[in-house]
Amino acid sequence: MGVISRGIKNAFRNTIRTVSITFILGLSIAMSLIMLLALKTVQAKIDTVKGSIGNTISVSPAGVRGFEGGGELLTNENANEISALANVTSITKTVTDRLTLIGSTSNMPTREGESTTTNSTTSLTSSVEAGSFGGRQQRQQVANTGGDATQTFTMPVQVIGTNSLDSLSALSATKFDIVSGSKFDVSSTENIAMLGQALATKNNLSVGQTFTAYDKSITVAGIFDAGNTFANAMVLMPIASVQTLSGQTDQINSLTVQVNSIDNLSSVSEAIKNKLGSDKIDITSSQEEANNTVTPLQNIRSISLYSLIGSLVAGSVIILLTMIMIVRERRREIGVLKAIGSSNAKVMAQFTVESLVLTLVSSVVGIIIGVIFSNPVLKVLVTNSESSSTSSTAPGPGGSGGMAMMSRMGEGAGNAIRDLQAVVDYKIVLYGIAAAVVIAIIGSALPSFFIAKIRPAEVMRAE
Amino acid sequence: MGDYQLSVVSNDINPLIHLDPLSHWISINLRSKMLRIKNLTKKFQSGDHTVTAVNDVSLTIPDGVFSTIVGKSGSGKSTLLSLLGALDKPSSGNIDVDGRDVSKLGDSKLIKYRRDKIGFIFQGYNLIPNLTALENVMLPMEFSGKKMQDRKERAAKLLKQVGLDEVKQSRKPGRLSGGEQQRVAIARALANKPSLILADEPTGNLDSATGKIIIDLLKHLAKTEDTTIVAVTHDDGIADEAEMTFRLKDGKLVNR
Repeated sequence: MGVISRGIKNAFRNTIRTVSITFILGLSIAMSLIMLLALKTVQAKIDTVKGSIGNTISVSPAGVRGFEGGGELLTNENANEISALANVTSITKTVTDRLTLIGSTSNMPTREGESTTTNSTTSLTSSVEAGSFGGRQQRQQVANTGGDATQTFTMPVQVIGTNSLDSLSALSATKFDIVSGSKFDVSSTENIAMLGQALATKNNLSVGQTFTAYDKSITVAGIFDAGNTFANAMVLMPIASVQTLSGQTDQINSLTVQVNSIDNLSSVSEAIKNKLGSDKIDITSSQEEANNTVTPLQNIRSISLYSLIGSLVAGSVIILLTMIMIVRERRREIGVLKAIGSSNAKVMAQFTVESLVLTLVSSVVGIIIGVIFSNPVLKVLVTNSESSSTSSTAPGPGGSGGMAMMSRMGEGAGNAIRDLQAVVDYKIVLYGIAAAVVIAIIGSALPSFFIAKIRPAEVMRAE
Repeated sequence: MGDYQLSVVSNDINPLIHLDPLSHWISINLRSKMLRIKNLTKKFQSGDHTVTAVNDVSLTIPDGVFSTIVGKSGSGKSTLLSLLGALDKPSSGNIDVDGRDVSKLGDSKLIKYRRDKIGFIFQGYNLIPNLTALENVMLPMEFSGKKMQDRKERAAKLLKQVGLDEVKQSRKPGRLSGGEQQRVAIARALANKPSLILADEPTGNLDSATGKIIIDLLKHLAKTEDTTIVAVTHDDGIADEAEMTFRLKDGKLVNR
């Protein structure tokens, strides 16, 4: 017989009380566990969603979208200013141009600051067929120029000059796999290019061969698969080369700004506007998508967190009141123990063991209930907050290829909420037991104080 | 006992001055093995006024003597007992047990004093209800740090001595009669070989026949274990059995 065995014995001294406390405390521990699970699951999901939405901001000159509109192009200086902002991890500069097949008609409006002597022609034939959408372009051109309606119209070839091949959204790519050859040096000023898979096939070009553009001979450094038809019909070149060849020295069509965290998207967007002037630039970011998908998840997280705290507090209060009740009930016995030579510490230890045993038994009950009910409860939580999220995930602003991609990702994130699945691992169980021990110690701290205050002379009192 | 003068004195006589030379010599000789109380006072604050439960009590009890403290309820006898057992601290005065002044001990020393020098027997037995008789007797030895095996052996021996067979030793208090429970309590009080056993109305809950048996047992143990026993009682029948009796009235010691 020792302090520990007495504590354990005492925990089961009153069967009805032990059963009811175990049940009530077990429920509260189960609740804590379920909420902890929900919290972890939802947090993991939030991280995934934030990661999948991407944390990029597109900056383009005000009024310019693709090749339409007017306005002033951005400059290298603008790019430097933006990359100096806080929370900006990297910046992708692109300058775009369109090349027409030598001998075909041009339907391009004259660009601002474009040298008229620049010959924006190429030996490349676009891999994209004009189709009925392209036919519309032809009709516009005929109407504008009064040219021959029977003349064949060919799609222009898109050229993107870039300083980075890492940003998929800047390249309108869904992926970027090298089919043959290698990536070019993005800081190069040489006349080298990478061709989209479809474009290379269409023109029977392979790595090392050359084609003509801007009246210059350009070497194919690599062939890539960007995962979509639009991007696979592109020519990628180092930004400096395109700027020189197209006569757009120092000019940039669009900037893709990579932000260190999705949470900083709006602050960085603001900073960019303040820096460059909101009338000079147009900014689109994945902020909206992020908000729409993350907000309901964050709501679930808050509910889980409050419930977790609530059930932990409830558990502590239950064991605290129980221990106070037990100590009051055994006042006389504590007096006897002290009278026959027990120290305060030993009596306290005995009661702490009792409280620990009660809590641990309750934890086992709680863990069992928690494991059984964690998924159903998580589902209820999700169903409730999903109804509020579906209304807010209404059609976002569509637009260019990049935007379409973003909204597709947003949709995926919406599905993600339904895919939440609580996974009970041993760590959670350990957390549960650790929480139980903490609860037990808190629960016996105040009673211990009462124990210390009980005078051994209590024992002399008449019954 | 008749060989030497017992220093039973009332509160207004200083025993050291009034003892005859022979008893003085004896008291010095027994100094280290004796219970001596000097000018002991205990006051309680009850509402606005102070209650003096024990008022300037001085007495000396030699070793191995079965003595009683008698008095009406409220006379302060239970308070005196709890002061002797260091369950409470006196307002003033000294308690000298085995040559040590108990009233001056610090808290941790007091715990040791209670554990090693004192055995308690209560009116309501105060056994731990969910421990067996044997485990109850082992409890004080656990606090003094004895080995498990030694505890068990001594507890069994003591229980046998007070008349509980092995079957009853393994029973919990609820399944023992009042007399048997008090025997367990006596065995528990003896567990750490105390110098002093304090009994608070030890027969209060027992019928007179059983009470007589318990008193005889206590008297017998006082001799065989050479332990001083102080029993508080309001039963004059028990007081008559005692070798020494002190009478308390309103917290003061009075001559019979």
